[in-house]
Amino acid sequence: MKREHAIALGLAACLYGGLAAQNQPGSAAVDKPAPRPDPGRPYVYTQWEHFTKADGLPNEHIFAVKVAGDQVWVGTENGLARYDKRTGAWRSWTEADGLPWRVVSGIDVHPKTGEVWIGLFGGGLARYSAGRFDHFHQLNSGLVNDVVYGVAVEHDNIWVATTAGASRYDTIGDKWSIYTEKNAPMEEIWNYGVCYNDGLVHLGVWGSGVLEFDVATGRWKDYLDPDREMEIDLYRDDGIIHVITTGVSYVEKTLWVSTYFGVCRYDGRHWRGWYAHESGLPSDFNNFVKGRSAREAWYCTDKGVGALMDFDTDTWVTYTTDGAEHAGQAVIQRGETPVATIETGYNLSHNYALAVDFDGNDVWIGTSKGLCRGVGTGYYSGLRPSSGAALVKQ
Amino acid sequence: MKTRHSLPSLRLLTLLTGLLGVGIARAQEASATSGPLSTATVLERIKVGPYELPDLPLKTNLNYAASAADIEPFGGVKPYKEHFLVQMEYTGPGRALPEPEGLKSVGIGFLGPIMPTVSVATGGRSHNEEALGIMMMRGAQLAIDQANAAGGYRRLAIPFELVVRNDNALWGSSGNEIVRMAYDDQVWAILGSIDGANTHIAIRVALKAEVPWMNSGDLDPTFIETNIPWVFRCIGDDRQQNYIILDYLFRKHDYRRIAIVRSSSRYGRFGVREIRDGCRRLGRPVLVEMAYKGGQEDFDMVLDRVAEVQPEVIVHWGNGPDGARILNAMRARGMDQLFIASDRAVTDEFVQLAGQHAEGVVCGFPWNPESPSPRLRAFREAFVAAYGTEPETYAAHAYDGMNMILWAIQEAGLNRAKIRDVLAYRDQPFPGVTGDIPLSAALDDAGEVFLAIREGGRWIYHSREDLGIPRGQVIQQTRTLRETARR
Repeated sequence: MKREHAIALGLAACLYGGLAAQNQPGSAAVDKPAPRPDPGRPYVYTQWEHFTKADGLPNEHIFAVKVAGDQVWVGTENGLARYDKRTGAWRSWTEADGLPWRVVSGIDVHPKTGEVWIGLFGGGLARYSAGRFDHFHQLNSGLVNDVVYGVAVEHDNIWVATTAGASRYDTIGDKWSIYTEKNAPMEEIWNYGVCYNDGLVHLGVWGSGVLEFDVATGRWKDYLDPDREMEIDLYRDDGIIHVITTGVSYVEKTLWVSTYFGVCRYDGRHWRGWYAHESGLPSDFNNFVKGRSAREAWYCTDKGVGALMDFDTDTWVTYTTDGAEHAGQAVIQRGETPVATIETGYNLSHNYALAVDFDGNDVWIGTSKGLCRGVGTGYYSGLRPSSGAALVKQ
Repeated sequence: MKTRHSLPSLRLLTLLTGLLGVGIARAQEASATSGPLSTATVLERIKVGPYELPDLPLKTNLNYAASAADIEPFGGVKPYKEHFLVQMEYTGPGRALPEPEGLKSVGIGFLGPIMPTVSVATGGRSHNEEALGIMMMRGAQLAIDQANAAGGYRRLAIPFELVVRNDNALWGSSGNEIVRMAYDDQVWAILGSIDGANTHIAIRVALKAEVPWMNSGDLDPTFIETNIPWVFRCIGDDRQQNYIILDYLFRKHDYRRIAIVRSSSRYGRFGVREIRDGCRRLGRPVLVEMAYKGGQEDFDMVLDRVAEVQPEVIVHWGNGPDGARILNAMRARGMDQLFIASDRAVTDEFVQLAGQHAEGVVCGFPWNPESPSPRLRAFREAFVAAYGTEPETYAAHAYDGMNMILWAIQEAGLNRAKIRDVLAYRDQPFPGVTGDIPLSAALDDAGEVFLAIREGGRWIYHSREDLGIPRGQVIQQTRTLRETARR
């Protein structure tokens, strides 16, 4: 395992202090409007660990990451892997080891039973329990399609987002339900992402925005782009930013959505959208999103990771890497304005990011060439006064 | 020495351009200053490691799909954001994958409806696209055969092989077929399909598996409106057919009362979308839009409703035989309106079923099969020699699409990302038998479309210029940067 640390330098902190002082309101010229006070700085991950095949991954094209207690489950293009955080040991499974199909595209872990539910891209659904894989597919179960993009555990039910609808498996009653355009408000049936939290299941449906299923009432609600046009977004904050959704995450009653056209957030009353040209998103092409709270979410794009660290102040940290040089940057940005650039050393394994999960203060990110962990020593949510930051260039 | 861009530096550039509110300007400027690159230059620049982005100018359009200002959606408002104007990039590590050794053949996937299947769209029966799918497969196979006769992959006597999978709409099984092609068959690119819903499923798989996808038979405008950098189309879509039909109806002939009769399938639903929207935006909203189930025989209820609104023109979007039955039913009850149809009516089956009623029918058409092109003549002769029948639209476009794939493989070698690159950054239109195929920034066929009119017992193909069909004003400026919404 390669471990590269970019520790804050005292000299750099002094340098930053000087730069920050220049930006204090009192130092501005008299005839210029006073700059807005700095609301503070977000936490920036400067310590990263990287994992490759040499460490035990069966494949470096990572499609899914799920943290469950001391274990990190990783879905790859050719196998399943598990990392034991206590021992640092990896174990992996391929088809030769009983994994029903090679491509693992989604993972969730049942908090009550510890069973691992595995979405297989073209192979259906698998359950890993007691050292055994059970296989569910179109021909032996109520799984609507074998091309699975996402899996989520809701109570004792397993939700599966497939390319031709969603399935819900009642593991206690051994019953399946299928949701398509016949019985749910799916304008298209191409399900991409699924998550469960706080009584609501959310499906990110390619071409049909986001669908919300209320577990208590069994009612559906849909979120679509009000302009209903593919080639334009008429107004940014009028609803979901585009109907071709790729990821959903619901936390603290806040819905975070990723699309291949930008991203958005819904707090139950207001929508807010972001595009790359006006935010810390490295790209409008977003593969995945995970919300950490109502104020913080991490977006996986094809050009790096954009972490909205403080919604209230629109403060982002954008991580990009130069894997060839084992270098990387984190750009702090407020809205469209860069605030500071921090040399983090090698951060993301690759800029093409596909999956993210949180692990206490740490963050795990799957990319198309390796897995990485941002070690969150001293992590804090939101912003803090800006003194004592790491190496900063402005 | 080749130029290399790291992502952090590109990121900074993006931020700066974004700050100026001219995100699109970067790509425009890059295109303007460096221009399109030759394939040799592209090949040189895509020799990059897994972490590098090749330095390639992105194709940029200033107007999406050459849309006239008066039919742009929400044309009176400057939208916040426009999509599909700048070419999508592939930023993954795939270009660094080595070419495999010891291959016995070079597999290219084919997905098409080549046998009757259960169709979700029709509620059970096969969607009757097998005839189209078989012609598509034949066109693709002919291109493969000719490439093999010329020495195969890079004249190394390694043959190309068409890996054929049936496109079955049942429970989205086309997605499963693509997974098998990508991972088990290890194909280098895929050509397909026809059904819009199935093809959407397929390209999502292609995106994740990172396989170039060429479409030659799905005219659904939204197929390309997905921002997938692996997807290409080599046939003019229904949006372009809709546009020429709208211009023919309104700008040339000043018709005012339009009705739509369409299949209840995705093909029908999305096929007429720009006609429906265009009629409304031009101040002549569609009077009624009726849908029917594919294969339906009785159209009394549909035509009762249509007749009530007294249209001047009936636009049909669906399969040819359905269109012929509707046309016959119309004429039988004395409805003599102009009948406009999609390209699927331009078939022998339609003419046989419609008989004399076919005379005067006007259809959108994605190409001109009467072109005097020597390439087309040679293709016809080869196709007839191989299969004993004349090729049609689906065969011809599949032949072109497969030849584009073959060209890209011969140029790029056996690397999916590089095959994608040479297609995506090609600087010249591809010389196809269906005409020149220029790719837009969205990697869609931006070539000319036609009207096929049944005249004197045969189809006559007319270009816009042939018929003097006026075009609305196409503003060559991105909408977000215009002075006003329409200027």
